[in-house]
Amino acid sequence: MFATSRTNRLLLHLANVVVIAFILLPLAAVVIGSIQSEKALQADTRRLMPLEFTLDNFIVIFSKGEQKGRIYEQATYLPDNIKSFYAAFANSTVVAISVTFLTLLFGSLSAYTIARQRFRWTIFLMQANIVARFVPAIVLMIPLYIVMRSLGQLNSLSGVIIAETGFLLPYAILILAPYFDSIPSELEDAARIDGCTRFGAFLRIVLPLSTPGLAACGVIMFIISWHELLIPLILNARPDFMTLPVVIASLVGDVHVFFNLMMAICLLALAPTVILVALLQKYVVQGLSVGAVKG
Amino acid sequence: MSVARHDGRWFRREISAGGFAFFMNLPTMLCLALVLAYPVIYAGYLSVHRVGLAQLRRGEFPFNGFDNFERLFEDRLFWVALKNTFIFTFITVGAEVILAVLIALLINQSSIWTSRVTRFLILLPYAIPPIANGLIWSFIYSFQFGFLNRILFSAGVITEPINWAGNPETALYAVTVPYIWRTLPFAILLVHAALQGIPRELYEQAAVDGATAWQRFWRITLPLLRPIIAVILILRTSFAFAVFEEILAITQGGPGDATWVAAWYSYKVTFSPPNNFGMGSASAYVLALLIGAMALIYVRFVYRRVTL
Repeated sequence: MFATSRTNRLLLHLANVVVIAFILLPLAAVVIGSIQSEKALQADTRRLMPLEFTLDNFIVIFSKGEQKGRIYEQATYLPDNIKSFYAAFANSTVVAISVTFLTLLFGSLSAYTIARQRFRWTIFLMQANIVARFVPAIVLMIPLYIVMRSLGQLNSLSGVIIAETGFLLPYAILILAPYFDSIPSELEDAARIDGCTRFGAFLRIVLPLSTPGLAACGVIMFIISWHELLIPLILNARPDFMTLPVVIASLVGDVHVFFNLMMAICLLALAPTVILVALLQKYVVQGLSVGAVKG
Repeated sequence: MSVARHDGRWFRREISAGGFAFFMNLPTMLCLALVLAYPVIYAGYLSVHRVGLAQLRRGEFPFNGFDNFERLFEDRLFWVALKNTFIFTFITVGAEVILAVLIALLINQSSIWTSRVTRFLILLPYAIPPIANGLIWSFIYSFQFGFLNRILFSAGVITEPINWAGNPETALYAVTVPYIWRTLPFAILLVHAALQGIPRELYEQAAVDGATAWQRFWRITLPLLRPIIAVILILRTSFAFAVFEEILAITQGGPGDATWVAAWYSYKVTFSPPNNFGMGSASAYVLALLIGAMALIYVRFVYRRVTL
């Protein structure tokens, strides 16, 4: 829509360079920060690129603090949470996969009927889901903390999984309902005439046809659940049950942890979802736009 | 009449449409009741009761009317937090809408190869965990070792380090940038999708009529983008009201009270000593009501109603 004269093209290239630089700035910071030593960072506070690189930050995390490497040789203190990196990674994986599975399961059952059967109460349920998507986590966390505390469910992965599933389910339904609606109902009608039940038609006809929708919803659920901080932060305070975001948050107030170690653990925590988004970009784009405006 | 063979498998038995819909929605309704509706109602209950650590241990919450709300509204810090939340929301949402339209137009230029690179990278910030994003930016902003000051030194722009997030004058603005960075892809995506829906003929016709690029933008593009801009405004405003992770990672509300926001206030009042759960719930409820108003506008006027 713009005239494509030479100056215009040049300006557009320039604008792109600015946007790309802005997008990449934090990634450059986290990568460069994680592969240098505290000493190198402190030696020259004005230099952009450090003189030497090291993998010691990652080694100390991967060896649970046992192999200290050159830069941590003299360090007498390492935060305990760094040592529980493997546990946190495993917890995050278990929570994210469980939440993705449960939201897809409950969400597709619900979204299918909302898309197909127009009762007054299913329409109301859809509107309730839209409103529920706006509920801020902090409002839920105070009562959930008290309830889970009295049920003895603090410090358990199942508590976090239940809470996150309930919290994310409305969003999953908002993403899935338009997909089911876009599948022509003639196919199910034909199957039903041939003797298929309602549930059979859903299971054998609709679900296989909506794999792109399920993929789009699933990848978004996994990402949000992998990123979720407030729910596990409040429900799980014991190191054994922390997820990665909680471990990262616990480093914030620790004056003895230097940026290099923090950047290394941040890089490890963001890698899975970055890879996921890079591989499944198409589905993320579809899911996000459908979930906001219903296709 | 069912023509299904009844071979005893439960899913082979035919049920009515209403019964089917009910059973299919049962797990969702249980989930929503348990994890959303009940806590929201219970938070309302807590907000009119005295709930501290002592009461929590005893398991008795004495009713105290609107004491929590009265104390809340008398708390200067609460009003500071609300004011900061509004400033934060206004800046981030305003910047996001403008940037989203500009960048969506930019990545729409498929004849420019750098635009294709941008389009490929645009979703990257969405993949970064918010708490990691906050920590990365606190490194970028660091007074002594920060990446931003290093860049500015290298470029020769500054001669003395700047304390971006540690200065009460700039801290609130400093935390808006990471939030904008992380949430912008979503807005760009929506505008980009809306741009694809504008018929090319409109622009061709306008070009024939001698309209300049500027006129085409104001007369065709922007009016047709209005619905999606409304969606972005409401969604982003609601979520920016509840900003938490970036505040926790970069400033923890500081310096002083410069970056206390509503969610941070509820969190601190509730989960750090003296653990006033009642007042925390009351403050969270104020936030929820603000966001609830946005949600109702969204359902009523913006999100196309369930006619699917």
